[in-house]
Formats: sequence, structure tokens, C-alpha cells
Amino acid sequence: MTACSRCATPVEDGDLRCAICALPVPIAVAAVSRAPRAQILRCTDCAAAVAFDPAVQAPRCAFCGATMKVEHPVDPIETAQLRIPFIVDRETATASLRGWLGKRGFFAPKTLRDEAVLESFTPLCWAGWLVNATAAVAWTADSDADSHRSAWAPHAGQVSLGFHNIVVPASRGLDHGECRLLIPYYDLSQVVAVGRVDGEPHAGPADARVDGAMDGAMDGAMDGAMDGAMDGAMDGAMIESFDAQRSAARKQVQESIELTAKVRVEEHIPGRRFRNVHVACLLEGQTTDRVAFPAWVLAYRYRDVAYRAIVHGQRPEVVFGSSPKDWKKIALVMFGIAALIAVIAAIVWFARRGG
Amino acid sequence: MVVSERAPTSTFSCQRCGASLAFEGVRTQTCPYCASPNFVERPPAADQPDPAFCVTFAGDAEWARTRFERWLGSRSMFADSALKRATVEDMRGVYLPAYLYSAVARSDYTAQIGEHYTETETYTTTDAQGNSKTETRTVTRTEYRPLSGRHIGYVTDVIVSASAGLPNEELARVEPFDLRQVRRFSPALVSGWIHEEFSRDADACKRMSRGEAVDEVGARLRRFMPGDSYSDLVWRTTVEWESLDPMLVPVWVFAVRYREDKPPFRVVINGQTGRIGGRAPLSWLKITIACVLALAVIAAVIYLVHQGQQP
Ligand SMILES: [Zn+2]
Ligand SMILES: [Zn+2]
Repeated sequence: MTACSRCATPVEDGDLRCAICALPVPIAVAAVSRAPRAQILRCTDCAAAVAFDPAVQAPRCAFCGATMKVEHPVDPIETAQLRIPFIVDRETATASLRGWLGKRGFFAPKTLRDEAVLESFTPLCWAGWLVNATAAVAWTADSDADSHRSAWAPHAGQVSLGFHNIVVPASRGLDHGECRLLIPYYDLSQVVAVGRVDGEPHAGPADARVDGAMDGAMDGAMDGAMDGAMDGAMDGAMIESFDAQRSAARKQVQESIELTAKVRVEEHIPGRRFRNVHVACLLEGQTTDRVAFPAWVLAYRYRDVAYRAIVHGQRPEVVFGSSPKDWKKIALVMFGIAALIAVIAAIVWFARRGG
Repeated sequence: MVVSERAPTSTFSCQRCGASLAFEGVRTQTCPYCASPNFVERPPAADQPDPAFCVTFAGDAEWARTRFERWLGSRSMFADSALKRATVEDMRGVYLPAYLYSAVARSDYTAQIGEHYTETETYTTTDAQGNSKTETRTVTRTEYRPLSGRHIGYVTDVIVSASAGLPNEELARVEPFDLRQVRRFSPALVSGWIHEEFSRDADACKRMSRGEAVDEVGARLRRFMPGDSYSDLVWRTTVEWESLDPMLVPVWVFAVRYREDKPPFRVVINGQTGRIGGRAPLSWLKITIACVLALAVIAAVIYLVHQGQQP
């Protein structure tokens, strides 16, 4: 892989311009040494002259209808090349969920732990980008430092920041808030190439199935993943395809880096309170790996209502999701509080009258 | 016929039937005898570079005409009413020569940043009985603090026209092009279409591009300013690492005649996105009548109000 000469970002296959700074990727130009002349493009099937047809975005022969093959812009739906292995197996995930259900607190139904019916265990490898880059970041902000009559004074500065292993979620199955709850607990040093299976509990031969697939593949793959889970192994754990095409992905990644930069510059702003933080980044040497992150998606049912919980694929103690509330208990407590307030009010009233 | 020195004419023979074809400011030509689309193949020269990139047409003449007619139908009430009977004298899809520019921009700026604060002030007023009394109110004031600093960033996707026939301002009106769809140039992408030759030199285009880059930096700086408001923003931008690459962009050019006594006006359509840039001629008669009517209404209102105040 070659790197962009302006910003040192690796150039990917099919890129005509650098993804970060838009510098065109140089190509070896075939020198035309012949004398200038007119040329026509001939149909490979019938040798008639062909013209570019916008409908097919390629030259098409008006006589025989054949379409000429030309290079098309590359904008694929991305797939993960790396993954973080599952450490938590199905039994552990189930046990974690049971434990979590038992600790839903006072307002959860008492029978939740025992009566909840697990309906599906889906091992999911959700898609995300792992980004590394360095950047010169110029910032401006208002802070309380050096303020005069107004509570705010403007400040500006420039810092150099390194962005190390920033995970940007690109999952279709989990929402990005759920991903952010999982991200801090992954051991990124364990990353392996997709297709490698060693060292994983119950890993079958044809583990990580990569979906080169587009929209809709999700449902089919989910079914497959469920069957796999029924077998008690992580065979067929679904590796998600990303939620955006490459060109859109780059924008998402860059916006994410800017948001991170906005938080990171805060320590460089003088003062204790600040607002209106703006950043301008000059990114260099950005590498973006496409990584699949393991998680168990568990669907359970309690008294005919479906709930969903997520168990981290590497740390069984990280569990979150939705759970039922016992409304009778809540009503009772509310009533109790109201009664207590009434009693106190009555006491105060009597005390005042007596005094 | 006057051919500008920057749009050279060369003659080549049709590769299918051998007829002599004149390429006048263009690099493609459809043979009038055998209808074959010819393309000039030649070594690139400084004034006649080979395009590096190409954005292709998204639709055919029908596609362009539909958009044009929709645009014509939606003109404002002040447009010349002769437009309703306007005729398209000429329409053509042209691969327009342009330059694609990008650079690293570093800017030093200074500005006055306005920060709000509130003050309580006292004022005297007269109540209904005619007694004066003192009251207080809070007012928001702004203090201006100087700020200077640096701004950095890549400026990318700047496109300027390299055609002497279509000024850059006219191209700017139909921008942007979706450069995610940009392709490496190949004669296969322009075969059968008009590929106009480059008729503005690279240096001039680079200067124009820099101007657009500095404008872009200005737009970013205005969003970059902290505070509740700002004033006196000035900046000096230096560009490094400039790249300038010849490319082709698709445009439809319509020549529209709407009155016998007026020259036709030009409407340009972005051949990729369908965005239209063109100014429909206005009817000065309509505008004058509207102004006179508006003044008459204002005068009437003033008169009535005045009448109402008479005892
Ligand atoms: Zn670059
Ligand atoms: Zn011919």
C-alpha cells in the first residue's frame, strides 16, 4: 500500500484521490508518442462506433446494444478485515443475563429472574472503524479565564494531537449508543484477521462468515447466527457489513475525529468553564481498519412482552438492556410516599396550632 | 470566421470513412457523413493537457430538457412574459474543461469577539398620575475583546472553469459536482459528446482556484469564531501543497430566444446533478408597475392614518 505524499494517509485500492486531503493518486501515464490523429471507439461485438450512454454509464453500441466495459468508480459497502474474538461463550452469556435480571433492583418484578424466557442468543460481530491519526488542531473557545465584565473571554490556540485507536461505530444491528457502552471494554490488542479461529471457545471451522452482502442480508444472516448459537458454538457468528458505503464512511469517521478533538482540546483551554469550542483539524497519516466487535444480543420474554439485552463479547459483567418494571410496586411506593407527606403535614399543622 | 488563438483548429480524417473533419476548439467530432464519433488522440501539451479526471453525464438530452422546462415554468412573476413562448435555439451537452484544485491552507486571523453581559440600570418614568418615579431594568450589553490565532485545514474539491466560453462564475452557479463519482478520464467516457478543449491556461486557473480557496477559508473562519458575535474579522491565508489537475465536468448549455429583438440568453445545467444556473430576463415594465402600486398603497395608508388623527 502506498501513502499519500501530502498527508501520509495510506491510499486504498480503487482510490483516485486521497481520502483525507484529496490529493490525486499519481498514475503512470502511457505516453502517446504518435502523431496526432482522430480515433474512434469501436464496438467489440460488431465494430460499429460507440458513444457514451449516461443510462448505463458506459459506451454502448447503438446497433447491437452491447455495452463496453469501463472502469467504474469504486464505492463498496465495506466489510471487516479484522475482528476481536469472542471470549464469552453462550453459557456464560446466559448466566450473565440471569444474574443481571436478578439484580434489576427493587422495582423489578420478583419473579423476573426465574420466569424470564430466553428466546434467542445471537452472537453478533458488529461493525466499526478503528482509526489512528495525528492532527494539528487549531481551536477557539470562550472561557472564564481573563474575563472582564462578561463572564466569558475568547481564547484561541493550536495543539498537536494523536488519535489512537478511536472506535467509530458503523453497526446496523446495534444503535450507536449501545456500541458506545460496549467500546471501553474491548481489548484491542487481541485483534485478529477475519477467518482465523484459533484460541476461541467452541470455535468451529468455518467461523466468521463474511457477508459481502448488501441490505437485507442481515435478516438471513441473523437466522444463520441463531442456528449456530443453538448448536452451542459460535459458528456462524454474524459479521455485519458496515452501515455505509466507503465514501459516506469517510465522512462519518472524520466527523467522529473532530468530535473527539473537540473534547481533547478542552484540557488546553485556560480557565475552568468554557463554551463555543470550535476546532479545525489538519489530519495526517490516518489509518482506518474495519473491525468486527463481539457481542451477544439476547432477546427474552417476560409475561408476553419482549425485551432485549446485550452482553459484552469479552467481558461477561458488562450487560445492559431493557427490563420490565413492576408497576404495582411502583404505585405502592408512590402511595406510601404520599401518605408519609400527608402524615408529616398533619403533624406540623397540629404542632403549629398547639404552639 | 474568427477562431481565438487559444482554441486551435486542427483537421484530421474520419477513422471510419476518411472524410476530413475540422476540430474547432473541441477534441471530439461526430462525422457528418458516417455519424461516427471521432476523438483526437495526441500527446499532451502544456496548453492542451489530457484530462486526469472526468465526471460523467447522468442523463441524456431528454433528461436535460425536462429540467429546463420545469425551471422555465417556475420563474417568478417579474419574469418577462415573452418567456412563456421562448424557444430553445440551441442545446448541447458539453464536457467542459476545468481544473480540480486542492491545497493545505494556513491562515492567521484577527477579530473582535463580542461577549454579552447584563447590567442593571435605573431610569425615571412618569406614571399615569404624572408623577415621575425611578425604576430598574436589566439590559444586555456587549464587550468586544480582540482575538488572534491560526486556522488550518485542507481545502479540497475546488473546481474552476478552463473554458474561455463559459466564465467561472457561470460554472459556480451550477456547482457542486459530486466528486465521489469522479472517474479517471478515458476517451470512452466522452465518445459521442462534445469534449471542449482547454482554452484558459493553468496559471490563470490556479490563481482563480486560490481565490476560491481563500473564500472557503473565510466561510470556515466565520463559523470558527467564538463569542456571541464578532466583527472586524481579517485573515491572511497561505497555501501549500497545491495540486491542480485538468478534468472534465458535464454541463448542458441552452441558448434561449424569447424576443426577436433581444439576443438569446444562456441557461447552464449541471449534467450530473441537474442543478440549473441561469437568470431569466426580467420585465422592467412589470417591476415598475409593481413599485408604483406599492407606493400608492403606502401613500393611501399614510393618508388614512393622518385623517384618523384629525380631531
Ligand atoms: Zn492525503
Ligand atoms: Zn465518417
